[in-house]
Amino acid sequence: MRGLDPSVDTSGEESGAECPYCGSTDTEREHPKGPSLCRSMHYCNACEQPFEKFE
Amino acid sequence: MSFDTDFDPSLEPDGDCTDVAEIDPLEEPSACAYTDYTAGGSVADEVPATGEGAEGVEADIWDALYEVEDPEMPVSVVDLGLIYGVEATERVDEGHHAEVVMTLTYTGCPARDMLTDEIEAAVSGVDGVESVDLRLVWSPEWSVEMVTENGKDDLREFGLSV
Repeated sequence: MRGLDPSVDTSGEESGAECPYCGSTDTEREHPKGPSLCRSMHYCNACEQPFEKFE
Repeated sequence: MSFDTDFDPSLEPDGDCTDVAEIDPLEEPSACAYTDYTAGGSVADEVPATGEGAEGVEADIWDALYEVEDPEMPVSVVDLGLIYGVEATERVDEGHHAEVVMTLTYTGCPARDMLTDEIEAAVSGVDGVESVDLRLVWSPEWSVEMVTENGKDDLREFGLSV
């Protein structure tokens, strides 16, 4: 089994990431990786906007 | 090429191992001698550095660095916390030699050459700077905490949670 490089772990799956637009933490992580390895993809339920989290 | 993927770094060395310090170099070297790496070095007192309080040519170098943005996000490399130190030394009749110590967000960063080229170009364009030496360091390791408050505002405005 190949293990994951710890440097590519992303957060915000359990605890909601803070939405950069409205500040809500009622958010969901849609994907652990975004357009680059240091960004994960999220969705804010409060303002219904997708956003990314910088890891 | 193959790697030992079952290797667990948290495992204690087995009893046959000898502490490197106890090995007499005149005797046979032990097969499980290892190098003990400790954090340290002379990077900077406080990282990341922001150029606060810099004067003269060094202040101009910081201004130039603030102009360099990360290729993926509209935030300067200084606010992103990549710059660990800047030093300008005056050389007789040769202007200043600038030394920039910096890191990248992770070792495999694909923007490595792009960023280092851009930073070298920006610093060598500063009035009075004749030569630039850019040093990449990996300790202390970069993390999101290195982003300045300014940088966090820039990232949020860009739609990134930090």
